[in-house]
Amino acid sequence: MSPVLRKLRGVGFAVVMLIVLIVLNVALNPARFQPSSWGTLLGLAAPLIGAAVASAPVILAGRGGIDISVGPLMGFVNALVIQLLFLNLGISSPLVIVPAALLVGAAVGAANGVLATIVRIQPIVATLGTYLILTGITLTILPAPIGPAPDWLKAMAGPLSIMPLALIGLCWLLIRRTPYHDLLMAVGSDDRAAYTAGVPVTKVRLIAYVLTGIFAAAAGLMLTSLIGSADPNIGPTYTLIAIAAVALGGVSLAGGRGGLGGAAIGAIDIFLLQSLLTTFNVSTYVLQIAYGLILVVAVVLTAVQERLSKRKG
Amino acid sequence: MAEGKALRVRDLVIAPGIDPITQTIAPGEIVGLAGLDGHGQERFLRALAGLERPVLGEIAVDGKAGSITSFRKAVAGGIAYLPRDRRSTGIFPAQSVLDNFAISTVSNDRRFGLLSFAARRRRYEAYRQKLSIVAPRPEAAITTLSGGNQQKVLLARALALEPNFLLLNDPTRGVDVATRHVLYDVFRSLAAEGMALVILSSEIEEILLLCHRVLVFREQRVSAEFSGAEMTTDAVIAAMFGRAA
Amino acid sequence: MTSNWFQSTDARIAGAFLMALLLQIVGTLLIPGYSAPFAIRALLVIASLLAVASIGQTLVVILGGIDLSIPFVIGFANVVAAQLYGQGWNFALVCVLVGVLAIAIGALNGLISRGLNIHPLIVTLGIGMVVQGAVLLWTEGFPSGSAPEAVSSFVSIGGSVGPLPVPLLVPCLILLTALIVLVLARTPYGRRLYAVGSNPEAAPLALIDPLRMWIVTYAASAFFAAVAGVLLLGFTGSAYGDVGQPYLFQTIAAVVVGGAALVGGRGSYLGTIAGVLVLTEINTLLIGLGFRPSTVQAALGLVILLLVSLYGRERHVRTTI
Repeated sequence: MSPVLRKLRGVGFAVVMLIVLIVLNVALNPARFQPSSWGTLLGLAAPLIGAAVASAPVILAGRGGIDISVGPLMGFVNALVIQLLFLNLGISSPLVIVPAALLVGAAVGAANGVLATIVRIQPIVATLGTYLILTGITLTILPAPIGPAPDWLKAMAGPLSIMPLALIGLCWLLIRRTPYHDLLMAVGSDDRAAYTAGVPVTKVRLIAYVLTGIFAAAAGLMLTSLIGSADPNIGPTYTLIAIAAVALGGVSLAGGRGGLGGAAIGAIDIFLLQSLLTTFNVSTYVLQIAYGLILVVAVVLTAVQERLSKRKG
Repeated sequence: MAEGKALRVRDLVIAPGIDPITQTIAPGEIVGLAGLDGHGQERFLRALAGLERPVLGEIAVDGKAGSITSFRKAVAGGIAYLPRDRRSTGIFPAQSVLDNFAISTVSNDRRFGLLSFAARRRRYEAYRQKLSIVAPRPEAAITTLSGGNQQKVLLARALALEPNFLLLNDPTRGVDVATRHVLYDVFRSLAAEGMALVILSSEIEEILLLCHRVLVFREQRVSAEFSGAEMTTDAVIAAMFGRAA
Repeated sequence: MTSNWFQSTDARIAGAFLMALLLQIVGTLLIPGYSAPFAIRALLVIASLLAVASIGQTLVVILGGIDLSIPFVIGFANVVAAQLYGQGWNFALVCVLVGVLAIAIGALNGLISRGLNIHPLIVTLGIGMVVQGAVLLWTEGFPSGSAPEAVSSFVSIGGSVGPLPVPLLVPCLILLTALIVLVLARTPYGRRLYAVGSNPEAAPLALIDPLRMWIVTYAASAFFAAVAGVLLLGFTGSAYGDVGQPYLFQTIAAVVVGGAALVGGRGSYLGTIAGVLVLTEINTLLIGLGFRPSTVQAALGLVILLLVSLYGRERHVRTTI
């Protein structure tokens, strides 16, 4: 089997779903899906893609690794950039805002990492703590939605949102070429064996949390440019959906299997699903049922398919 | 102990295209399984326990209708199994020694619907003496015990099922020498009381010391069977490697 | 022996209860009327509601899983009970129906998670969303109806039982707690629950059917979530589909503060009760001190991290080899 095919088999179901969803969307709603509006669509999907990609590294690191503070961190970055930097301090230069946001993300990620790997609190509990702290602080500095965003940031909302996504993709491609990626996957699939083989397990996991934090901050910036303002309530809603997207994209929640590409495809699937269901003009209630149902069916089918392919050997 | 019941294996094929195995394991007998790793002895043992589905053939206990096709059926037929990997499929690390001992037979301690800790303690005490388990505080986690004593607790768990047949998958792996000899004595006295034992061991010495006969596995079939004076280290090793002795 | 005791589960639970008591004393010193009968009643009722919602999470966490569908099932029971009762159904019948449906939802959670080996986080989230969507669809987003008088007085802060100045809910919860503690310690189900959580691979060889355990336990979790939903209907007076949302993380936090590791095999309902009291105390105290809800939330996060880093730490990889 060629490497490409083997890769596809891992993501398998998500890719099939992607193709089906694109075809359906284009057929049923040609106006919304004409080539000229692809940029807008990408902008709409960007924060979810970012959130899913951000959630992936810690999950890959295994042993219950998960970061449920990704959503709140996006909201925190959103509030910080608009309320504190732009409105209070009058800073609008991307040269300040972008590094500051990423730095905040790295710091929060490092904090999560220290809690989960050095203090050794269960990752879901540790990041639940940061979840509550971040949403609390966000609501304190920003009790209600406020605007606007700097012009350059708003301009990033449309086709230009390919830029941050491409940058994240490039980052990941570079990481894949370093030994770190192999270590991450080794730790994720069997941390005891990795430890015995001399892999610095704690350090590898800690770095995964920092990566997640940085990517989450980038997703927060994408969210900011999409909504063109600051809203304390939107960020946290991305948390669980992002994790669902990661699972859909063939990343094992047990760690060590999958990649950021799969997570991104999973996120695009979910986005296309949302827009397809909206096309049918059904009530939001039906939308939610279908949404949950397809999520469950998708993970079930992925599991069944994995089981079958394992049986075939 | 039920008298005269035997475990009968008829035309058992454990891998496709391989000669069938027919064996009768009689009460009071200790049968050894030897072979190089992966040559079928473990599959055979796990099939006896209903943990692995054979390609063909049947395994039955006298007086019980139907072939053993699942672990539950095996246990119902009076078979107990001691797994090989103590840590991954044996102990419950977060649980106490008592819990680990009683879990398979947990319903036996029920008095008026609730578990009686006194009854559990009494049952445990009987096996603690029989197997000379060294556990100062049976309420403490099982992980506080030495490997040998953990193994004895697992053996006590299996014996609590009051089996007629005891299947042991490399029972002395990672167990210190002193404990080994305690286990050997226990195995012999169990057999003397009429229990049939099947012991898979990676150590030939152990098999020669304990067993009445040995089945040597090579390429998923029983390539040789020795008993009595024929059962020597050289003969077993030769059969394991597929050479004439 | 003493140094051992301080690291034991009992010590954690005792510590959490002590902490709740300490917070009560601090509150009494700082805030006038903090220990007034009405304030204590309110605290007990709010804590009892959270305690009921946390029963399922406790069981599921001991099993080695997690249940994110609890808030959705709470909302489901809340709305369906109100709606059917409003349409003139017999309330006992309504409760039976809601209970049975909840059990079916929970059983499905357990069946899919364990049967196909999919992380329960995803399964319970997906099933929860379907349940919530179905309820919204049925009520078209505007649930109506109310609770019967009996349920309202059962949970009413002003209620009393004979000479006791608390609503019936509180003594009932104490009874229920005793029952759950008994079931966990003294029934085959309880011992098997801990065993599956402790080592799922070893469970089948100890004659435990893990799939059955998962189905039963998730069904129980959903059932108690439904009970909490009906009780909340009595507490707030009218149906609200999102009434369960605060309970998503609160139930997990209560279980964790009570000393259960989320890896399974450890935990106790008494610990969860202690965790519930600590969380409710902190909440009441900080709000009483005039902090905004957002600040209170941040403080809760800090407290969880602090407590868990004191006693909920995992083992280092090197000690697991």
